Amino acid sequence: MEKQIFSSSISPLSIVQMNDVFASYDSKNYVLQNIRMSIQRGTNYAIVGQSGSGKSTLLKLINGMMNPSNGTVKVNYQTPNFHEKSFKKFIAKIGYIPQNLGLVKNTTVLENVMIGALPRLGAFKSFFKIFPDKEIADAYNILKMVGLDDKAERKTYMLSGGERRRVAIARALMQKPDLLLADEIVSELDHVTAIEIMDIISDAQKKFELTSIMVHHDMNLALEYANRVAVIKKGEKILEIGVEGDEIVDFQTGNLTQKEILEQYNESEK
Amino acid sequence: MNQKNNLLVGIVIAVVAVMSFDVGVDPIGFFEGLPNLGIVLKEMTEFEGDHWQTAFWAMLETIEMAFIGTVIGVAIALPLSLLASRNLNSKFVYAPVRALLAAARTFPSILWAILFVIVVGLGPFAGILAITLYTIGFISKLQYESIEAVDNVPVEATSAIGLTKLQLIRYVIIPDSAPHLISQILYMFDYNVRQTSILGIVGAGGIGFYIINYIKFFEYGKAAVFMLVVLATVLVIDWISVKVRDRYIVKSQTGMQIKI
Repeated sequence: MEKQIFSSSISPLSIVQMNDVFASYDSKNYVLQNIRMSIQRGTNYAIVGQSGSGKSTLLKLINGMMNPSNGTVKVNYQTPNFHEKSFKKFIAKIGYIPQNLGLVKNTTVLENVMIGALPRLGAFKSFFKIFPDKEIADAYNILKMVGLDDKAERKTYMLSGGERRRVAIARALMQKPDLLLADEIVSELDHVTAIEIMDIISDAQKKFELTSIMVHHDMNLALEYANRVAVIKKGEKILEIGVEGDEIVDFQTGNLTQKEILEQYNESEK
Repeated sequence: MNQKNNLLVGIVIAVVAVMSFDVGVDPIGFFEGLPNLGIVLKEMTEFEGDHWQTAFWAMLETIEMAFIGTVIGVAIALPLSLLASRNLNSKFVYAPVRALLAAARTFPSILWAILFVIVVGLGPFAGILAITLYTIGFISKLQYESIEAVDNVPVEATSAIGLTKLQLIRYVIIPDSAPHLISQILYMFDYNVRQTSILGIVGAGGIGFYIINYIKFFEYGKAAVFMLVVLATVLVIDWISVKVRDRYIVKSQTGMQIKI
Protein backbone atom coordinates (compact mmCIF):
# COMPACT_ATOMS: atom_id res chain seq x y z
CA MET A 1 0.00 0.00 0.00
CA GLU A 2 1.05 3.58 0.50
CA LYS A 3 4.57 4.30 1.54
CA GLN A 4 5.06 6.61 4.46
CA ILE A 5 6.13 9.81 2.84
CA PHE A 6 5.35 12.24 5.61
CA SER A 7 7.11 12.13 8.90
CA SER A 8 4.72 11.60 11.77
CA SER A 9 5.83 14.83 13.43
CA ILE A 10 3.51 17.71 12.73
CA SER A 11 4.61 19.86 9.88
CA PRO A 12 4.50 23.55 10.80
CA LEU A 13 2.61 24.33 7.64
CA SER A 14 0.00 21.64 7.89
CA ILE A 15 -3.54 22.58 8.84
CA VAL A 16 -4.81 19.01 8.88
CA GLN A 17 -2.70 16.09 9.96
CA MET A 18 -3.94 12.50 10.26
CA ASN A 19 -1.81 9.70 11.59
CA ASP A 20 -2.94 6.07 11.20
CA VAL A 21 -6.57 7.00 11.57
CA PHE A 22 -9.27 4.36 11.82
CA ALA A 23 -12.93 5.33 11.98
CA SER A 24 -16.06 3.32 12.53
CA TYR A 25 -19.76 3.97 13.14
CA ASP A 26 -20.55 0.67 14.80
CA SER A 27 -17.15 -0.33 16.27
CA LYS A 28 -17.18 -3.41 14.05
CA ASN A 29 -16.64 -2.33 10.46
CA TYR A 30 -14.09 0.33 9.77
CA VAL A 31 -15.19 2.94 7.24
CA LEU A 32 -11.71 4.38 7.25
CA GLN A 33 -8.47 2.50 7.80
CA ASN A 34 -4.88 3.51 8.17
CA ILE A 35 -5.41 7.02 6.88
CA ARG A 36 -2.32 9.17 6.83
CA MET A 37 -2.57 12.60 5.42
CA SER A 38 -1.02 15.96 5.81
CA ILE A 39 -2.69 18.93 4.25
CA GLN A 40 -0.66 22.10 3.92
CA ARG A 41 -2.14 25.55 4.34
CA GLY A 42 -3.28 27.06 1.08
CA THR A 43 -3.76 23.71 -0.66
CA ASN A 44 -6.80 22.91 -2.73
CA TYR A 45 -7.16 19.35 -1.65
CA ALA A 46 -9.54 16.93 -3.29
CA ILE A 47 -10.68 13.57 -2.00
CA VAL A 48 -12.02 11.26 -4.69
CA GLY A 49 -13.72 7.92 -4.42
CA GLN A 50 -16.94 6.03 -4.97
CA SER A 51 -19.98 6.34 -2.77
CA GLY A 52 -19.51 4.53 0.50
CA SER A 53 -15.73 4.73 0.33
CA GLY A 54 -15.56 6.82 3.50
CA LYS A 55 -14.99 10.26 1.96
CA SER A 56 -17.69 12.07 3.97
CA THR A 57 -16.47 10.46 7.18
CA LEU A 58 -13.06 11.93 6.51
CA LEU A 59 -14.56 15.44 6.53
CA LYS A 60 -16.48 14.72 9.73
CA LEU A 61 -13.24 13.73 11.42
CA ILE A 62 -11.78 17.10 10.50
CA ASN A 63 -14.52 19.27 11.97
CA GLY A 64 -14.99 17.09 15.01
CA MET A 65 -18.46 15.76 14.19
CA MET A 66 -16.91 12.34 14.57
CA ASN A 67 -13.99 11.01 16.58
CA PRO A 68 -11.51 8.48 15.24
CA SER A 69 -11.61 5.04 16.85
CA ASN A 70 -7.83 4.89 16.51
CA GLY A 71 -5.03 7.21 15.52
CA THR A 72 -4.75 10.95 15.84
CA VAL A 73 -6.32 13.82 13.98
CA LYS A 74 -4.87 17.30 14.38
CA VAL A 75 -6.57 20.32 12.92
CA ASN A 76 -4.77 23.60 13.42
CA TYR A 77 -2.52 21.69 15.87
CA GLN A 78 -5.51 20.71 18.02
CA THR A 79 -7.53 17.57 18.40
CA PRO A 80 -11.03 18.32 17.11
CA ASN A 81 -13.28 18.37 20.14
CA PHE A 82 -16.58 20.19 20.43
CA HIS A 83 -16.21 20.65 24.17
CA GLU A 84 -12.81 22.30 23.98
CA LYS A 85 -13.19 26.06 24.05
CA SER A 86 -10.21 26.83 21.87
CA PHE A 87 -11.33 24.37 19.22
CA LYS A 88 -14.86 25.72 19.33
CA LYS A 89 -13.44 29.07 18.43
CA PHE A 90 -11.60 27.53 15.50
CA ILE A 91 -14.60 25.54 14.36
CA ALA A 92 -16.43 28.78 13.61
CA LYS A 93 -13.72 29.26 10.99
CA ILE A 94 -14.12 25.88 9.33
CA GLY A 95 -16.57 26.46 6.52
CA TYR A 96 -18.64 23.32 6.22
CA ILE A 97 -20.94 22.41 3.35
CA PRO A 98 -22.46 18.95 3.88
CA GLN A 99 -23.73 16.83 1.03
CA ASN A 100 -27.33 17.98 1.37
CA LEU A 101 -26.17 21.55 2.03
CA GLY A 102 -28.13 21.93 5.26
CA LEU A 103 -29.87 25.18 4.34
CA VAL A 104 -32.85 26.39 6.33
CA LYS A 105 -35.62 26.18 3.73
CA ASN A 106 -38.13 28.54 5.27
CA THR A 107 -35.92 31.58 5.71
CA THR A 108 -34.46 34.03 3.28
CA VAL A 109 -31.17 33.67 1.48
CA LEU A 110 -29.72 36.53 3.54
CA GLU A 111 -30.66 34.90 6.83
CA ASN A 112 -29.10 31.62 5.75
CA VAL A 113 -25.90 33.50 4.95
CA MET A 114 -25.98 35.33 8.29
CA ILE A 115 -25.94 31.95 10.06
CA GLY A 116 -22.26 31.82 9.11
CA ALA A 117 -21.65 34.97 11.18
CA LEU A 118 -23.59 33.84 14.25
CA PRO A 119 -20.66 32.32 16.17
CA ARG A 120 -19.09 35.82 16.18
CA LEU A 121 -22.23 37.54 17.48
CA GLY A 122 -23.39 37.79 21.06
CA ALA A 123 -26.35 35.81 22.35
CA PHE A 124 -28.59 38.86 22.78
CA LYS A 125 -27.91 40.37 19.36
CA SER A 126 -28.31 37.11 17.54
CA PHE A 127 -31.54 36.28 19.35
CA PHE A 128 -33.17 39.55 18.32
CA LYS A 129 -31.53 39.50 14.89
CA ILE A 130 -29.69 42.77 15.45
CA PHE A 131 -26.82 42.49 13.00
CA PRO A 132 -24.00 45.04 12.86
CA ASP A 133 -24.05 47.06 9.62
CA LYS A 134 -20.64 45.75 8.72
CA GLU A 135 -21.79 42.14 8.86
CA ILE A 136 -24.75 42.92 6.63
CA ALA A 137 -22.48 44.72 4.17
CA ASP A 138 -20.15 41.70 4.21
CA ALA A 139 -23.06 39.38 3.57
CA TYR A 140 -24.12 41.43 0.55
CA ASN A 141 -20.57 41.47 -0.79
CA ILE A 142 -20.36 37.71 -0.50
CA LEU A 143 -23.78 37.31 -2.11
CA LYS A 144 -22.53 39.48 -4.95
CA MET A 145 -19.50 37.21 -5.31
CA VAL A 146 -21.69 34.13 -5.67
CA GLY A 147 -24.11 36.04 -7.92
CA LEU A 148 -27.14 36.08 -5.64
CA ASP A 149 -27.23 39.69 -4.42
CA ASP A 150 -30.52 40.29 -6.22
CA LYS A 151 -32.11 37.31 -4.46
CA ALA A 152 -31.10 38.12 -0.87
CA GLU A 153 -34.70 38.42 0.30
CA ARG A 154 -35.91 35.34 -1.60
CA LYS A 155 -37.03 32.34 0.45
CA THR A 156 -34.54 29.52 0.09
CA TYR A 157 -37.05 26.87 -0.95
CA MET A 158 -37.78 28.89 -4.08
CA LEU A 159 -34.23 28.55 -5.41
CA SER A 160 -32.85 26.14 -8.00
CA GLY A 161 -30.28 23.47 -7.16
CA GLY A 162 -27.39 25.59 -8.43
CA GLU A 163 -28.59 28.65 -6.52
CA ARG A 164 -28.90 26.65 -3.30
CA ARG A 165 -25.28 25.62 -3.63
CA ARG A 166 -24.33 29.27 -4.03
CA VAL A 167 -26.18 30.07 -0.79
CA ALA A 168 -24.32 27.27 1.00
CA ILE A 169 -21.01 28.62 -0.31
CA ALA A 170 -21.96 32.13 0.79
CA ARG A 171 -22.83 30.86 4.27
CA ALA A 172 -19.47 29.12 4.51
CA LEU A 173 -17.62 32.24 3.30
CA MET A 174 -19.52 34.34 5.83
CA GLN A 175 -17.71 32.33 8.51
CA LYS A 176 -14.48 34.04 7.30
CA PRO A 177 -13.07 30.54 7.11
CA ASP A 178 -9.47 29.39 7.29
CA LEU A 179 -10.51 26.01 6.02
CA LEU A 180 -13.37 25.08 3.71
CA LEU A 181 -14.87 21.59 3.73
CA ALA A 182 -17.32 20.68 0.98
CA ASP A 183 -18.93 17.31 0.48
CA GLU A 184 -19.81 16.47 -3.14
CA ILE A 185 -21.09 19.95 -3.72
CA VAL A 186 -21.44 19.57 -7.48
CA SER A 187 -22.24 15.86 -7.80
CA GLU A 188 -25.89 16.22 -8.72
CA LEU A 189 -25.48 19.19 -11.04
CA ASP A 190 -25.23 19.30 -14.80
CA HIS A 191 -21.75 19.91 -16.18
CA VAL A 192 -22.17 23.62 -16.97
CA THR A 193 -23.59 24.48 -13.54
CA ALA A 194 -20.95 22.35 -11.86
CA ILE A 195 -18.20 24.33 -13.59
CA GLU A 196 -19.89 27.62 -12.56
CA ILE A 197 -20.01 26.53 -8.92
CA MET A 198 -16.40 25.28 -8.95
CA ASP A 199 -15.26 28.57 -10.49
CA ILE A 200 -16.96 30.50 -7.68
CA ILE A 201 -15.19 28.38 -5.08
CA SER A 202 -11.91 28.69 -6.92
CA ASP A 203 -12.23 32.52 -7.03
CA ALA A 204 -13.08 32.61 -3.33
CA GLN A 205 -10.08 30.47 -2.53
CA LYS A 206 -7.78 32.92 -4.25
CA LYS A 207 -9.45 35.96 -2.73
CA PHE A 208 -9.54 34.74 0.87
CA GLU A 209 -6.41 32.52 0.71
CA LEU A 210 -8.40 29.51 1.88
CA THR A 211 -7.34 25.98 2.36
CA SER A 212 -10.02 23.78 0.89
CA ILE A 213 -10.79 20.12 1.23
CA MET A 214 -13.42 18.99 -1.21
CA VAL A 215 -14.91 15.59 -1.69
CA HIS A 216 -15.58 14.71 -5.31
CA HIS A 217 -17.10 11.90 -7.23
CA ASP A 218 -15.57 12.94 -10.52
CA MET A 219 -11.82 12.52 -10.96
CA ASN A 220 -11.64 14.91 -13.93
CA LEU A 221 -13.13 17.73 -11.85
CA ALA A 222 -10.70 17.03 -9.04
CA LEU A 223 -7.71 17.10 -11.36
CA GLU A 224 -8.90 20.34 -12.90
CA TYR A 225 -9.44 22.31 -9.68
CA ALA A 226 -7.30 20.76 -6.98
CA ASN A 227 -3.56 20.87 -6.60
CA ARG A 228 -3.50 17.69 -4.63
CA VAL A 229 -5.78 14.68 -4.98
CA ALA A 230 -6.22 11.70 -2.69
CA VAL A 231 -8.07 8.63 -3.89
CA ILE A 232 -9.99 6.66 -1.29
CA LYS A 233 -11.13 3.13 -1.91
CA LYS A 234 -12.99 1.04 0.64
CA GLY A 235 -11.77 3.23 3.47
CA GLU A 236 -8.14 3.26 2.49
CA LYS A 237 -6.10 5.90 0.77
CA ILE A 238 -4.68 4.16 -2.27
CA LEU A 239 -3.17 7.11 -4.07
CA GLU A 240 -2.13 10.66 -3.40
CA ILE A 241 -1.03 12.87 -6.22
CA GLY A 242 0.09 16.42 -6.67
CA VAL A 243 -1.22 18.32 -9.64
CA GLU A 244 0.66 21.18 -11.20
CA GLY A 245 -0.64 22.34 -14.52
CA ASP A 246 -0.77 19.24 -16.66
CA GLU A 247 1.97 17.46 -14.83
CA ILE A 248 0.95 15.06 -12.12
CA VAL A 249 3.25 13.73 -9.50
CA ASP A 250 2.49 10.44 -7.84
CA PHE A 251 4.38 10.19 -4.62
CA GLN A 252 4.74 6.48 -4.99
CA THR A 253 5.74 5.97 -8.59
CA GLY A 254 7.20 9.24 -9.71
CA ASN A 255 5.90 11.39 -12.52
CA LEU A 256 2.88 10.35 -14.49
CA THR A 257 0.82 12.00 -17.16
CA GLN A 258 -2.79 12.93 -16.50
CA LYS A 259 -3.85 10.15 -18.84
CA GLU A 260 -1.94 7.56 -16.91
CA ILE A 261 -3.40 8.73 -13.62
CA LEU A 262 -6.91 8.48 -14.99
CA GLU A 263 -6.17 5.01 -16.27
CA GLN A 264 -4.78 4.00 -12.92
CA TYR A 265 -7.82 5.47 -11.17
CA ASN A 266 -10.24 3.72 -13.46
CA GLU A 267 -8.33 0.51 -12.93
CA SER A 268 -8.67 0.87 -9.17
CA GLU A 269 -12.41 1.46 -9.43
CA LYS A 270 -12.96 -1.92 -11.07
CA MET B 1 -51.88 -8.52 2.20
CA ASN B 2 -55.36 -7.99 0.81
CA GLN B 3 -56.74 -10.96 2.72
CA LYS B 4 -55.18 -9.58 5.87
CA ASN B 5 -56.96 -6.27 5.29
CA ASN B 6 -60.30 -8.01 4.79
CA LEU B 7 -59.82 -9.85 8.04
CA LEU B 8 -59.01 -6.61 9.81
CA VAL B 9 -62.14 -4.89 8.47
CA GLY B 10 -64.19 -7.91 9.52
CA ILE B 11 -62.79 -7.76 13.04
CA VAL B 12 -63.50 -4.03 13.34
CA ILE B 13 -67.12 -4.57 12.25
CA ALA B 14 -67.53 -7.41 14.74
CA VAL B 15 -66.10 -5.30 17.56
CA VAL B 16 -68.44 -2.40 16.73
CA ALA B 17 -71.44 -4.81 16.75
CA VAL B 18 -70.50 -6.30 20.13
CA MET B 19 -69.88 -2.91 21.69
CA SER B 20 -73.15 -1.52 20.33
CA PHE B 21 -75.02 -4.37 21.96
CA ASP B 22 -73.15 -3.69 25.20
CA VAL B 23 -74.06 -0.01 25.41
CA GLY B 24 -77.59 -0.50 24.10
CA VAL B 25 -77.55 1.06 20.65
CA ASP B 26 -81.15 1.05 19.39
CA PRO B 27 -81.58 1.92 15.68
CA ILE B 28 -85.34 1.28 15.80
CA GLY B 29 -85.69 3.75 18.63
CA PHE B 30 -83.88 6.30 16.50
CA PHE B 31 -86.41 6.05 13.67
CA GLU B 32 -89.36 5.95 16.06
CA GLY B 33 -88.04 9.09 17.76
CA LEU B 34 -87.48 11.02 14.54
CA PRO B 35 -90.89 12.77 14.64
CA ASN B 36 -89.78 14.43 17.90
CA LEU B 37 -86.97 16.07 15.97
CA GLY B 38 -89.62 17.33 13.57
CA ILE B 39 -91.44 19.02 16.44
CA VAL B 40 -88.24 20.69 17.66
CA LEU B 41 -87.36 21.82 14.15
CA LYS B 42 -90.85 23.25 13.65
CA GLU B 43 -90.61 25.18 16.88
CA MET B 44 -87.17 26.34 15.94
CA THR B 45 -88.54 28.03 12.86
CA GLU B 46 -90.60 30.25 15.10
CA PHE B 47 -87.77 32.72 15.54
CA GLU B 48 -87.99 35.34 18.16
CA GLY B 49 -86.46 38.14 16.14
CA ASP B 50 -85.86 40.51 19.05
CA HIS B 51 -83.13 38.12 20.28
CA TRP B 52 -80.75 38.71 17.37
CA GLN B 53 -79.03 41.54 19.20
CA THR B 54 -78.46 39.56 22.41
CA ALA B 55 -77.18 36.66 20.32
CA PHE B 56 -74.76 38.94 18.50
CA TRP B 57 -73.24 40.31 21.69
CA ALA B 58 -73.07 36.87 23.26
CA MET B 59 -71.29 35.57 20.17
CA LEU B 60 -68.87 38.48 20.29
CA GLU B 61 -68.05 37.61 23.89
CA THR B 62 -67.51 34.00 22.84
CA ILE B 63 -65.12 35.00 20.06
CA GLU B 64 -63.24 37.32 22.41
CA MET B 65 -62.86 34.53 24.94
CA ALA B 66 -61.63 32.10 22.29
CA PHE B 67 -59.22 34.68 20.89
CA ILE B 68 -57.70 35.58 24.26
CA GLY B 69 -57.42 31.92 25.21
CA THR B 70 -55.81 30.97 21.91
CA VAL B 71 -53.25 33.79 21.95
CA ILE B 72 -52.21 33.31 25.57
CA GLY B 73 -52.26 29.53 25.20
CA VAL B 74 -50.02 29.62 22.12
CA ALA B 75 -47.65 32.09 23.81
CA ILE B 76 -47.21 29.68 26.71
CA ALA B 77 -47.21 26.57 24.51
CA LEU B 78 -44.26 27.63 22.31
CA PRO B 79 -41.54 27.71 24.97
CA LEU B 80 -43.02 24.56 26.51
CA SER B 81 -42.90 22.74 23.18
CA LEU B 82 -39.20 23.56 22.90
CA LEU B 83 -38.70 22.03 26.33
CA ALA B 84 -40.76 18.97 25.41
CA SER B 85 -38.82 18.10 22.23
CA ARG B 86 -36.71 15.01 22.52
CA ASN B 87 -34.16 16.26 20.01
CA LEU B 88 -33.38 19.42 22.02
CA ASN B 89 -33.43 18.28 25.63
CA SER B 90 -32.35 15.57 27.98
CA LYS B 91 -34.85 13.08 29.33
CA PHE B 92 -35.01 14.90 32.65
CA VAL B 93 -36.38 17.98 30.97
CA TYR B 94 -38.74 16.66 28.35
CA ALA B 95 -40.31 13.83 30.37
CA PRO B 96 -41.86 15.98 33.14
CA VAL B 97 -42.90 18.69 30.68
CA ARG B 98 -44.60 16.09 28.50
CA ALA B 99 -46.40 14.65 31.50
CA LEU B 100 -47.78 18.10 32.38
CA LEU B 101 -48.89 18.72 28.80
CA ALA B 102 -50.56 15.33 28.63
CA ALA B 103 -52.44 16.18 31.84
CA ALA B 104 -53.68 19.43 30.28
CA ARG B 105 -54.99 17.50 27.30
CA THR B 106 -56.56 14.69 29.29
CA PHE B 107 -59.80 16.51 30.04
CA PRO B 108 -61.88 18.37 27.47
CA SER B 109 -62.04 22.10 28.06
CA ILE B 110 -65.55 21.85 29.50
CA LEU B 111 -64.23 19.86 32.46
CA TRP B 112 -61.48 22.41 32.99
CA ALA B 113 -64.17 25.10 32.84
CA ILE B 114 -66.08 23.46 35.72
CA LEU B 115 -62.86 23.44 37.73
CA PHE B 116 -62.11 27.07 37.00
CA VAL B 117 -65.67 28.16 37.79
CA ILE B 118 -65.01 26.75 41.25
CA VAL B 119 -61.70 28.62 41.40
CA VAL B 120 -62.57 32.07 39.99
CA GLY B 121 -66.36 32.01 40.01
CA LEU B 122 -68.96 32.15 37.23
CA GLY B 123 -68.27 34.13 34.08
CA PRO B 124 -66.07 34.39 30.99
CA PHE B 125 -62.78 34.47 32.90
CA ALA B 126 -63.21 30.84 33.97
CA GLY B 127 -63.89 29.95 30.33
CA ILE B 128 -60.79 31.79 29.15
CA LEU B 129 -58.65 29.87 31.64
CA ALA B 130 -60.11 26.57 30.46
CA ILE B 131 -59.52 27.42 26.80
CA THR B 132 -55.97 28.58 27.55
CA LEU B 133 -55.09 25.39 29.36
CA TYR B 134 -56.46 23.16 26.66
CA THR B 135 -54.69 25.21 23.96
CA ILE B 136 -51.38 24.85 25.81
CA GLY B 137 -51.72 21.08 25.92
CA PHE B 138 -52.80 20.74 22.33
CA ILE B 139 -50.53 23.22 20.53
CA SER B 140 -47.49 22.08 22.52
CA LYS B 141 -48.02 18.51 21.40
CA LEU B 142 -48.46 19.41 17.73
CA GLN B 143 -45.51 21.75 17.91
CA TYR B 144 -43.03 19.45 19.64
CA GLU B 145 -43.92 16.78 17.13
CA SER B 146 -43.16 19.13 14.27
CA ILE B 147 -39.94 20.26 15.99
CA GLU B 148 -38.88 16.64 16.24
CA ALA B 149 -39.61 16.21 12.55
CA VAL B 150 -37.38 19.12 11.51
CA ASP B 151 -34.83 18.11 8.89
CA ASN B 152 -31.66 16.99 10.63
CA VAL B 153 -29.22 18.11 7.94
CA PRO B 154 -29.43 21.87 8.66
CA VAL B 155 -29.28 21.13 12.37
CA GLU B 156 -26.06 19.16 11.90
CA ALA B 157 -24.60 21.61 9.43
CA THR B 158 -25.13 24.57 11.74
CA SER B 159 -24.02 22.86 14.94
CA ALA B 160 -20.88 21.82 13.08
CA ILE B 161 -19.89 25.47 12.70
CA GLY B 162 -20.38 26.17 16.40
CA LEU B 163 -23.86 27.68 16.78
CA THR B 164 -25.17 27.76 20.32
CA LYS B 165 -28.37 25.91 21.16
CA LEU B 166 -30.32 29.15 21.40
CA GLN B 167 -29.06 30.26 17.98
CA LEU B 168 -29.91 26.85 16.57
CA ILE B 169 -33.46 27.15 17.89
CA ARG B 170 -33.85 30.71 16.66
CA TYR B 171 -32.40 30.27 13.18
CA VAL B 172 -33.08 26.65 12.25
CA ILE B 173 -35.70 24.98 14.44
CA ILE B 174 -38.28 27.78 14.63
CA PRO B 175 -38.26 28.74 10.93
CA ASP B 176 -38.41 25.13 9.80
CA SER B 177 -41.31 24.26 12.09
CA ALA B 178 -43.21 27.54 11.64
CA PRO B 179 -45.35 26.79 8.57
CA HIS B 180 -47.09 24.04 10.48
CA LEU B 181 -47.47 26.35 13.45
CA ILE B 182 -49.52 28.98 11.64
CA SER B 183 -51.89 26.38 10.32
CA GLN B 184 -52.14 24.78 13.76
CA ILE B 185 -52.97 28.10 15.44
CA LEU B 186 -55.70 28.76 12.89
CA TYR B 187 -57.16 25.34 13.49
CA MET B 188 -56.93 25.85 17.25
CA PHE B 189 -58.79 29.17 17.09
CA ASP B 190 -61.48 27.61 14.95
CA TYR B 191 -61.77 24.74 17.43
CA ASN B 192 -61.73 27.08 20.43
CA VAL B 193 -64.64 29.15 19.09
CA ARG B 194 -66.71 26.00 18.88
CA GLN B 195 -65.57 24.87 22.32
CA THR B 196 -66.25 28.26 23.90
CA SER B 197 -69.76 28.17 22.47
CA ILE B 198 -70.66 25.37 24.85
CA LEU B 199 -68.70 26.48 27.92
CA GLY B 200 -71.71 28.58 28.97
CA ILE B 201 -73.41 25.32 29.85
CA VAL B 202 -71.31 25.19 33.02
CA GLY B 203 -71.53 28.93 33.60
CA ALA B 204 -68.16 29.84 32.17
CA GLY B 205 -69.43 32.62 29.90
CA GLY B 206 -70.19 32.85 26.20
CA ILE B 207 -73.19 32.12 24.04
CA GLY B 208 -73.72 28.58 25.37
CA PHE B 209 -75.32 29.97 28.51
CA TYR B 210 -78.30 31.22 26.50
CA ILE B 211 -78.57 28.13 24.35
CA ILE B 212 -78.66 25.70 27.26
CA ASN B 213 -81.15 27.80 29.22
CA TYR B 214 -83.61 28.23 26.37
CA ILE B 215 -83.39 24.53 25.55
CA LYS B 216 -83.99 23.65 29.20
CA PHE B 217 -87.22 25.66 29.18
CA PHE B 218 -88.30 24.29 25.79
CA GLU B 219 -87.96 27.66 24.10
CA TYR B 220 -86.54 26.24 20.91
CA GLY B 221 -87.41 29.32 18.88
CA LYS B 222 -85.12 31.43 21.03
CA ALA B 223 -82.39 28.80 21.19
CA ALA B 224 -82.48 28.53 17.40
CA VAL B 225 -81.52 32.18 17.00
CA PHE B 226 -78.39 31.64 19.09
CA MET B 227 -77.52 28.38 17.37
CA LEU B 228 -77.82 29.97 13.96
CA VAL B 229 -75.46 32.76 15.03
CA VAL B 230 -72.93 30.13 16.15
CA LEU B 231 -73.29 28.26 12.86
CA ALA B 232 -72.82 31.43 10.80
CA THR B 233 -69.80 32.46 12.84
CA VAL B 234 -68.09 29.08 12.54
CA LEU B 235 -68.69 29.10 8.78
CA VAL B 236 -67.19 32.59 8.46
CA ILE B 237 -64.12 31.66 10.53
CA ASP B 238 -63.70 28.52 8.49
CA TRP B 239 -63.84 30.51 5.27
CA ILE B 240 -61.31 33.05 6.57
CA SER B 241 -58.90 30.36 7.71
CA VAL B 242 -59.06 28.65 4.32
CA LYS B 243 -58.18 31.97 2.70
CA VAL B 244 -55.29 32.60 5.08
CA ARG B 245 -54.02 29.07 4.66
CA ASP B 246 -54.03 29.33 0.87
CA ARG B 247 -52.31 32.68 0.92
CA TYR B 248 -49.58 32.13 3.48
CA ILE B 249 -49.17 28.49 4.24
CA VAL B 250 -49.74 26.26 1.27
CA LYS B 251 -47.43 28.43 -0.81
CA SER B 252 -44.65 28.27 1.72
CA GLN B 253 -44.34 24.54 1.45
CA THR B 254 -42.06 23.10 -1.17
CA GLY B 255 -43.77 21.42 -4.03
CA MET B 256 -47.19 22.67 -3.06
CA GLN B 257 -47.30 25.87 -5.07
CA ILE B 258 -50.84 26.63 -6.09
CA LYS B 259 -52.21 29.08 -8.57
CA ILE B 260 -54.85 31.51 -7.42
